[in-house]
Amino acid sequence: MDARPAALSLVRSRIALAALLCAAGFSVIAARLTEVMVFGVGAAGVATVAEPAHPMRADLVDRNGVLIARDLPVSDLYASPATFWDTNEASHALAQVTGAEEGHLEEAFAPKRGYVLVQRGLTPDARDAVMRLGLPGLTFEPNYKRYYPAGRIVAHAVGQVDPDDNGISGLELGLNDKVRGRADAAPITLSLDMRVQYVLEHEIDEAMKSFRAKAAGGIVLNVRTGEVLALSSRPDYEPNRHALGPGDSIRNRMTQDVYELGSIFKIFAFSEAVEESTIRLDEIFQVSSLKLGNHQIHDFERLGPYLSASMIFAESSNIGTAQIEMRSGPTRQKPFLRRLGLLDPLKTELPEVASPLYPRHWEWVEAATIGYGHGISVNPLSFVAAAASVVNGGTLLKPTFLKQDTTQVGERVVSESTSRTMRQLMRLVVTDGTGKKADVPGYDVGGKTGTAEKAENGTYAHHELISSFCGVFPISDPQFIVFIMLDEPHGNKESGGFATGGATAAPAVGKVIARVAPLLGVKRNDTFAAATP
Amino acid sequence: MIRTLNFVFMAITGLLCLGLYRIAENARVANSELRETRAAIVREHEALTVLGAEWARLTQPARLQALAQRHLRLSDRPGVELSSLTQLPPKNPPLAPEAQFRDAKIVVPAPETAPIAPKATTAVPAASPKDPAFAALHTGT
Repeated sequence: MDARPAALSLVRSRIALAALLCAAGFSVIAARLTEVMVFGVGAAGVATVAEPAHPMRADLVDRNGVLIARDLPVSDLYASPATFWDTNEASHALAQVTGAEEGHLEEAFAPKRGYVLVQRGLTPDARDAVMRLGLPGLTFEPNYKRYYPAGRIVAHAVGQVDPDDNGISGLELGLNDKVRGRADAAPITLSLDMRVQYVLEHEIDEAMKSFRAKAAGGIVLNVRTGEVLALSSRPDYEPNRHALGPGDSIRNRMTQDVYELGSIFKIFAFSEAVEESTIRLDEIFQVSSLKLGNHQIHDFERLGPYLSASMIFAESSNIGTAQIEMRSGPTRQKPFLRRLGLLDPLKTELPEVASPLYPRHWEWVEAATIGYGHGISVNPLSFVAAAASVVNGGTLLKPTFLKQDTTQVGERVVSESTSRTMRQLMRLVVTDGTGKKADVPGYDVGGKTGTAEKAENGTYAHHELISSFCGVFPISDPQFIVFIMLDEPHGNKESGGFATGGATAAPAVGKVIARVAPLLGVKRNDTFAAATP
Repeated sequence: MIRTLNFVFMAITGLLCLGLYRIAENARVANSELRETRAAIVREHEALTVLGAEWARLTQPARLQALAQRHLRLSDRPGVELSSLTQLPPKNPPLAPEAQFRDAKIVVPAPETAPIAPKATTAVPAASPKDPAFAALHTGT
């Protein structure tokens, strides 16, 4: 009888144990239910979109919102050769579809192990084509590839990125911190205007073809805001390819090269003379000959023997300009050019900017030759910025490649009166001087021609010229400056055999102004138009 | 009693299992739909990105100019041939200067009952503001 209570106790303890286990189980279930239903833990985070391997870059757009550069979704294709039945067949099929080199794939697949990169940057269409092959062991890694819809049109200014989407040249490098990792942010709006850029490139190409020039370049700049509306350099390259084609060049001649620009530098000699009142514009100078020490100064063609100061500028007399510059002398000329930013490296968003070259010993002879643009080498963008500073009312202008809404008010470099006088002189160049071919009826173009002989082996090559023209319009109230430079142009029938700036670059600038002025909203001078039959 | 409780607990457990399964299944389906929707959004976004770039390529001024030259009979007129409205000649030129219009007087024909018979043989005297005939001919300001 003693065994019954003991058995009963055993059963009860087992039931209690089972109940405890059940309670524990239910507790776990209840806890999990509460967790899932009330707090929602475990439900979130399962539906995620695969992130790309690295952050995208922001779009670059022109001042009107036209797309210049964008990251497009692509795929990097990897293969596991161990899964292929026939590696040669797989190599052939993949090479056909992706454009990869078949021999390279065969070699990489032969060991049948590891993980092999087949091709980077596959477009969605190419990815679909690979999928249709039905090969096993393929993996697509999402990636992005920088695409430039305009291709060559704006290659030098915008630059390029490397395969890892890091900027390596142009604005892609200069604005790398602003662009990289900002894919979700607003696009970066550049100062460039693709319409103006196209017109500039088109006219430069035509001029290069017409005058058989070796290279060329051009700039269109807003003289009030400092915005660069267009920048072109020839030869150019295709930024969507990472290899250069025959004759291509990544060298931006408008910022990376420095040139002795020749007579367009007379703008600064005359600005200085007018500012310092060392001349009167009606003052007569002898321009038949001038010798400074052992240095004989020549004019391109015989002028004079006497010319007024204004006609020295209009006819671009080196002899006259040297005499005018000698009145200021090196001690005043050097600080004046430094104030204009011509003796220091230009600071802008473009990283590839060459420093100016000028003589260490800057004496009287150097002052005279620098007055007419020889003996000093600057990059064309620095020159254009300095010329814009003279004509915009006399305040220093810093060029920028980002869109601006306000007028720049820089340090004063010349007085408003000097700026006005210089505009009148530049108009005289076009109406009565060497720049007649740049005139555009109704738009009052002013400007200055430049023809420099290229320095070779310590001497000047008489038949290798840098011909340029710097045009400003409308000259009464300047808004834009257009600069075009041709490297080693050759005269043709149209230019009367001349290869000077006035015969080659000036008409190209005139054509650019005639096409872009209406696009930029510059009104015709109706007084002039009414007088035109 | 225990048997009843066990039955009740087991029934509750079964119901809870069913409920949990239903919730889990709904969550799985919703999660799958959400994933598909997000993937579709990503695909559409990528398509927009690609199409935007394609549009920019197709609307390049160089391409448009080439197409216009090939298919349209448009000449490449320079902008200087554009003009403003002020340069257009007036459609109906004014007959007289504006000042003359301001000073114009209305001419009223003389009543037929009182014709003025010109004297053919004698000189016509100059009209005077005091002359009733002049007054009949000239009225207004």
